[in-house]
Amino acid sequence: MFYRLSGVHYDSFASDSRIFKVPADRNLAVFFLLFGLAAPFIIPSLYLNSYMLPWLLWTAAALGLNLVTGWAGQLHLGYAAVMAVGAYSAVHAVRFGVPWEFALLIGGLASSVIGSLFAFAALRVKGLYLALTTLAMQFVMDWVLNHSPTISGGSHASLQSPTFALLGQEITSDVGYYYVGFGWCVLVTILMLNLKRTGLGRALVAVREKDFAAAILGVNSFYYKILAFATSSFIAGVSGALLVATFFFLAAPEQFSVGVSIQVLAMVIVGGLSSIIGSYFGVALILLAPGLVNGLVVAASGGLGMQVTDETLAHIPNAIYGALIVIILLIEPLGLGKLYGNVRDYLMVWPFDQLRK
Amino acid sequence: MDWIFLTELAINGALTGLLYSLVAIGLVLIYKASSVPNLAQGGLTMLGAYVVLALSRDAGMPLWLAIPLAAVIMFGMGFGIERVALRRLAGRPVVMILMMTLGIDIFLIGTTLAIWGGTSSSMNLGISYEPLLMGDIFISRIHLVGAGVALSLFAAFMLFFRTRTGIKLRAIADDYMASWSVGISVERGVGLSWALASLVAVGAGVIWGEIQGVDQSLSILLLKGLTVAVLGGLDSILGAVIAGVIIGIIENVGAEFLDQFVGGGSRELIVAAVLILTVMIRPHGLFGRHDIERV
Amino acid sequence: MPMQEKVEAQSILSMNSVEVLYDNVMLAIKGVSVQVPKGKMIALLGSNGAGKSTTLKAISGLLKAERGRISRGEIKFNGTDITEVLAQKRVGMGICHVVEGRHVFEHLTPDENLTAAAPLGMSRSVLNVEKEKIYNYFPRLAERRNSQSGYLSGGEQQMLAIGRALVTQPSLLMLDEPSLGLAPFLVSEIFDILQKINQEEGVSVLLVEQNALAALEIVSEGYLIENGRVVMHGTAEELKSNSDIQEFYLGGGEGTDFHNVKHYSRRKRWLS
Repeated sequence: MFYRLSGVHYDSFASDSRIFKVPADRNLAVFFLLFGLAAPFIIPSLYLNSYMLPWLLWTAAALGLNLVTGWAGQLHLGYAAVMAVGAYSAVHAVRFGVPWEFALLIGGLASSVIGSLFAFAALRVKGLYLALTTLAMQFVMDWVLNHSPTISGGSHASLQSPTFALLGQEITSDVGYYYVGFGWCVLVTILMLNLKRTGLGRALVAVREKDFAAAILGVNSFYYKILAFATSSFIAGVSGALLVATFFFLAAPEQFSVGVSIQVLAMVIVGGLSSIIGSYFGVALILLAPGLVNGLVVAASGGLGMQVTDETLAHIPNAIYGALIVIILLIEPLGLGKLYGNVRDYLMVWPFDQLRK
Repeated sequence: MDWIFLTELAINGALTGLLYSLVAIGLVLIYKASSVPNLAQGGLTMLGAYVVLALSRDAGMPLWLAIPLAAVIMFGMGFGIERVALRRLAGRPVVMILMMTLGIDIFLIGTTLAIWGGTSSSMNLGISYEPLLMGDIFISRIHLVGAGVALSLFAAFMLFFRTRTGIKLRAIADDYMASWSVGISVERGVGLSWALASLVAVGAGVIWGEIQGVDQSLSILLLKGLTVAVLGGLDSILGAVIAGVIIGIIENVGAEFLDQFVGGGSRELIVAAVLILTVMIRPHGLFGRHDIERV
Repeated sequence: MPMQEKVEAQSILSMNSVEVLYDNVMLAIKGVSVQVPKGKMIALLGSNGAGKSTTLKAISGLLKAERGRISRGEIKFNGTDITEVLAQKRVGMGICHVVEGRHVFEHLTPDENLTAAAPLGMSRSVLNVEKEKIYNYFPRLAERRNSQSGYLSGGEQQMLAIGRALVTQPSLLMLDEPSLGLAPFLVSEIFDILQKINQEEGVSVLLVEQNALAALEIVSEGYLIENGRVVMHGTAEELKSNSDIQEFYLGGGEGTDFHNVKHYSRRKRWLS
């Protein structure tokens, strides 16, 4: 009814390889694109800076992980380490005098190189063992960051990020930061949307489903696995660098610790493997819901006159974060993206869905 | 080089390693029955310690009562976790199950700390901190006790897996479909493995709680338990024990040498390196089963 | 229908117009009725994807493992309705299903495989007697009782799977393609043993086979299933002499005639 379609049917190859199979999805995307452009004029700058910007940046990062985990099917528990490489290389490059445009590129490429090391693990093992290897690599990276003052910036282990600038233009305002994050996120999203229609995307899916079978079909799984890791690591590196440049303003090891790796993976899985819109939802939920619920708990305890200690309050968001992962996986293991798809498919034929049965 | 010092390092390392095995055994039990990597074992260990503490310190029970009671509670808890969270994911890709156990881990840690707070408390087992002197070698008493617990658990499980229930659990680990077809309740078997792992977590929680205090740091034992389990072969309890000893020695002796060069804290690095090398060189570990592929 | 009731009374298993849905969308069998008389061997024949395995899974309750469910019809075992009974309970009632593709417990020894299948209440001495009986049927297994099952040959694994099913003390043994991928002499060896088990233990057997020729030698009746429906039912002799069966399943007949095929598929739609 809302979608004016009776389902998704293809009558030509061109219609099958469209980016948006459902016109309403495209309209929705256009709407959100316009909304995103207009956001600084609608949303107060506090919210813009503390909610919208991290949401977009983490979504870009999550999409990168989704590329390697969702599309290529390679488990990755060391994503934050790869982000750290990008962030630290970019910041060091800028401090060395490189302009930010190139520094971001350097960060991305450095991440690609290190990220490809993870790919070599993926060539040898898969599934659980790959997860464990990447987890161990994450720990190694944590250790390196914590134990080498030259990288992490002296005894306090924090590295001040120089003022962000693009095209010689210094960017210091919230709105400016927001547009940078927005632009990057849109760029990554467009890349991912197109990935589905390319040979690369299909090859990745083939490698995910069965790498032996893919090899028999002439898909060089060796090459595509490395390519997937390298691309995803590039996205990770730039996202990490932008997070430091526009949101954290300084780089510290705990921003890229193993917990963060788990968090990004949670975003991807809660959102839905190989679902783009899902990653947006997943990031929103994992990033924002614990804080919101905590606010509710504070309000409720105040309202009911209960005594909630600070310590309890400090740990409730974590408990909620864990509970969210468990609950979403129980409701729909394919994540929020699949839930969205279910609702859309239901509405597509509503109110005539009874006729199908 | 001082040989006595080296021996002391090795022996204490081996004892510590056996304590890592305590954590690893929990992982192995669940992996054996359901091929599920239980990344919640750290959270379970921590919860086990806090439950004992709550019973002994807050409810005023003597330890000989508090520990078995905590074991019973955690046994039920393990069944519950499987029933509520894992059962519905059976047959899903490993990435979702991995995430589920991570989610449980985060949830358990968050909830435990929200209830009991994060300040470190002591277990007060009443074991003297005075080291035992054997010849010229100092040995920590609590580590000795813990190693004893690990070894007796090991023996108990070796016997258990020869019983009929144990064989059924191993059968479940091999093939769900075939298990169902001959009337084995796969669900109950997997539930039992979670219950047993939670039971082991109480043991690990008590011993480690005594050593480093009951706080969030208990949950970080997961990485070491995981490394030990992987080196041992993930589905081999014997492997977990032997790998524990090996890693304990490598870590203790290696750290002594490496710390001079890198300025401390090389234990984590050594453990992570062992994990990476194991997976790269011999993914099925020392005693893990090869997957038999017949073409 | 007094006639039908009489048939049911003599049947250990009676399945009445059962429909099976996978994932709530795919209708795998569309009203299959099968009767297994007590102590007899029955074969379900048909091509790939006809719904034979689904029929067996509906009877053993293993559908649940593959997100399938019975959406219509009923299954009676010894007169009791088992349509809603859990798979493991059905094993206790005496239905055992040897699944397709030799699912042995690879990392257990054959001996442990047999132990794993023992019902909870079975005493150790009874179990040992059962094991000896099975080793008597399958002397090859006795030789290798303590080696790892994953390294057994295909035929030995199939024997182990059958032996393991016997430990559950079934009164109805269901086998899914026991001849799959085995050399012809092994197939006849296994089928001979099955016949022996059927005669000596009084176990009713429901056999799913693509190897119709071999199957029709040992069974008394057969059902032909196509597209999720029973299209033919008769004694082994009747089926063997039927020209369509000869043509399509026994490899006999005089060449394929396309017009006959079309005619046949049109006719069978009205049959079920």
